[in-house]
Amino acid sequence: MKVRLEKVPRATLVIAEGRLDFGAAPAFQKELEQAVAAAHASEAKAVIVDCAALDYVSSAGLRTFLQAARASQRAGVVFALSTLQPAVREVFELSGFSRMIPIHADRTAALAKISATKTPDGQ
Amino acid sequence: MGNERRLAVRSEAAQLAVLTAFLKEFWSAAALPAEGSLPFELALEEVFMNVVMHGAPAGAARVEVSLHLDGGSLAMSIADDGPPFDPLSLPAPDVTAGLHERRIGGQGVHLVRQMMETVGYRRVGTRNILTLGRQIGR
Repeated sequence: MKVRLEKVPRATLVIAEGRLDFGAAPAFQKELEQAVAAAHASEAKAVIVDCAALDYVSSAGLRTFLQAARASQRAGVVFALSTLQPAVREVFELSGFSRMIPIHADRTAALAKISATKTPDGQ
Repeated sequence: MGNERRLAVRSEAAQLAVLTAFLKEFWSAAALPAEGSLPFELALEEVFMNVVMHGAPAGAARVEVSLHLDGGSLAMSIADDGPPFDPLSLPAPDVTAGLHERRIGGQGVHLVRQMMETVGYRRVGTRNILTLGRQIGR
């Protein structure tokens, strides 16, 4: 599995690629923790995980998303996913995770949603 | 190739990659559609890791996976010689629980149950045998 973090004006992006299985989960979890910390420290308090190239996720992978979503909520950071492949989306739906973690059609839609839900802070 | 393949490994986490490669090789040799493989990859990982983490001490059990293609259906059986354990007896997680109430235990088996059309457990002699099957979309 390959992971890349990228900062864009309104969010910290996590670009995930490959297989998120039991073996890959510990390293991926660290990347998510870093992304949440980076988002917390920045103006744009949002993390979007771009899953366009993520072609497999197991329960070990779901666990990393659950922990990152919880950590984000504690840190006041928006946490969302975008661009799930159909088979991966099915795993999120069957597990009920799609009800706990916002999932957007693509990165643009995720960024638009973040802008729409954030309350202006007067800056 | 024939339409049945078997592979046995020791019950240790590092063998997951070996089993996944075995499944993928079977998949491409049989020219099955790539998008149908995820349920089987997932079932293999969830069941194998259950044996590794909750069965006999690490590496002590032998796990045998067999794949049998019959027309448009694939049957996968996963047998281990660890202590008797029926993963299908685990309670389903509450998929309506909120972010902070949600417990992750039992999630893997729950997914396997939902993604497969047939699931069955039996104890035969000294082995647990889990049999899973589903149609392969073409």
